[in-house]
Amino acid sequence: MASTLYVDRESPVHRLNPVTKLVTLLTLIVVVFAIPFWWVAGIAVVAVIVPAAVVSGCGGRLAKLGFAILTPIILVLFIVQGLTFPGGKTALWEWGGIAITTEGLYFALGIGSRIICLVFASILFVLTTHPGDLLSALTERGMSPKFSYIISSTLQLIPAFQDRADGILLAQQARGLAIGKGLRGRVGAMMPLLAPLVLGMFTDVEERATAMEARGFGSTARRTALTPVPDTTAQRVFRWTMPVVAVAAIVLPIVTGAL
Amino acid sequence: MFSTTTTKNVDPNRLRNTILVAVGSLVIVATYLYLVVGQPTEVAESSTSQASLIAIGGYVIGAILLAAGSIHRLPTATIAMIPVAIALNIVVGQIVAVLGLPVYIDSIGTVLVAALAGPAAGVVTGILTNVIWGLTLSPIALPFAVVQVIIGVMAGYAARMGMFRRFYLAPVAGFVTGIVAAVISAPISAFVFGGATGGGTGAIVGAFQAMGQSILGATTLQGLLSDPLDKAITFTIVVLILAALPNRFRQRFPFVRQYRVFGKAAPTVTSKSESAS
Repeated sequence: MASTLYVDRESPVHRLNPVTKLVTLLTLIVVVFAIPFWWVAGIAVVAVIVPAAVVSGCGGRLAKLGFAILTPIILVLFIVQGLTFPGGKTALWEWGGIAITTEGLYFALGIGSRIICLVFASILFVLTTHPGDLLSALTERGMSPKFSYIISSTLQLIPAFQDRADGILLAQQARGLAIGKGLRGRVGAMMPLLAPLVLGMFTDVEERATAMEARGFGSTARRTALTPVPDTTAQRVFRWTMPVVAVAAIVLPIVTGAL
Repeated sequence: MFSTTTTKNVDPNRLRNTILVAVGSLVIVATYLYLVVGQPTEVAESSTSQASLIAIGGYVIGAILLAAGSIHRLPTATIAMIPVAIALNIVVGQIVAVLGLPVYIDSIGTVLVAALAGPAAGVVTGILTNVIWGLTLSPIALPFAVVQVIIGVMAGYAARMGMFRRFYLAPVAGFVTGIVAAVISAPISAFVFGGATGGGTGAIVGAFQAMGQSILGATTLQGLLSDPLDKAITFTIVVLILAALPNRFRQRFPFVRQYRVFGKAAPTVTSKSESAS
């Protein structure tokens, strides 16, 4: 497992300020969830996500990752809700005691289209945004640097952690630990792995904390960015209009009574 | 609410943090009450309600406010420990998924940090676990961030009440935490994912719906089947790990000393974890 999904490429989508992309992502999710028609999510995918994916050059990876995550969820959603939706009345197809209802399928379509939009939009965001850029941009805007430290530190730790876990597992197997068959055997294999893993990782923490404290990590003063994240006036204007769009999407269905 | 972790530090933003935590908790509770009491029938009839937006928005905003109010209270030693705990959550969660066990075990790190450094640290660990999970493996984890936050809070208070002093108390605390986690997460499963968060769980939700439950009722019952067991196992693993940690390391945490999380004497190491370390 790579520690992030980020694909390093030159493209207009990659060059955008991370906060612009984040605001767009959030607005898209709000719009799709606020306007209660399934085709809104469809339009969002066709008109926003697909063009952005093509421009960024990450379309292939996006499709692969997206379908791997979505296929089981969408299948289960349509089967379960089609068959057992509590509000289902009109049977579309009946066989024995089992009936697929129109209401159930319609409900699954409504939920499914939103999930598809949510997953594709978030994956595209992660594919095109370097976590480091996003965190420095957010810290410049007043997010606590402690959040940035924790997130970026974790992203670096996960591969090291897995290496260590693999090493411990191999060492325990070398001294005779058998990963047993059945549930009990597998659970039994967990503790000899966990105890040394946790002990080793947590004892490293002490020295790191001292080093960080010595370099003023706990200071609450405002930091200056070492590498400022590029930004443009057009993007700044765009970012201010997006919340207006989101609020409009929430208010309009209530005002017009489309609910 | 979490004012206990930094008794010595004079925090200039103390009032602001307290307000953030209070508002965050209120938003989460209000979201849940609105979804459960407010409109159960409407959602059962059609998908055209805004319940999903309220579920996702209310929980995410509440969790972010809680985390923002909690993080400034944490000393550097705790901050340095949180990435290790998050990596532990994610890596163990992955291993369990690979081993094919019917539980998640994805909150060992959250419970461990909450037991050593208090509820505020548990909150930060919980929310950032799901943020990083969303950034690396699956965006599906993001709407569920609030559940890990609840686990962190509950584990921290369980530690304050001395539930980690005895081996048989930890699973009880885990069981209770699991019940709360199941109840809180049910509206997200129901209104955002339509009950379909995975193959096995989806089948159980379908079975409950076929028995005449509403979507929310079915996802709540499904959660109550798996979450209490999962958290009882998690808390048991954590109490075993804590017993294996050197006493010198454990007693360095102000939270542990103040609330005597491990009692006067450290719990005895079982033969199982002794052979492990």
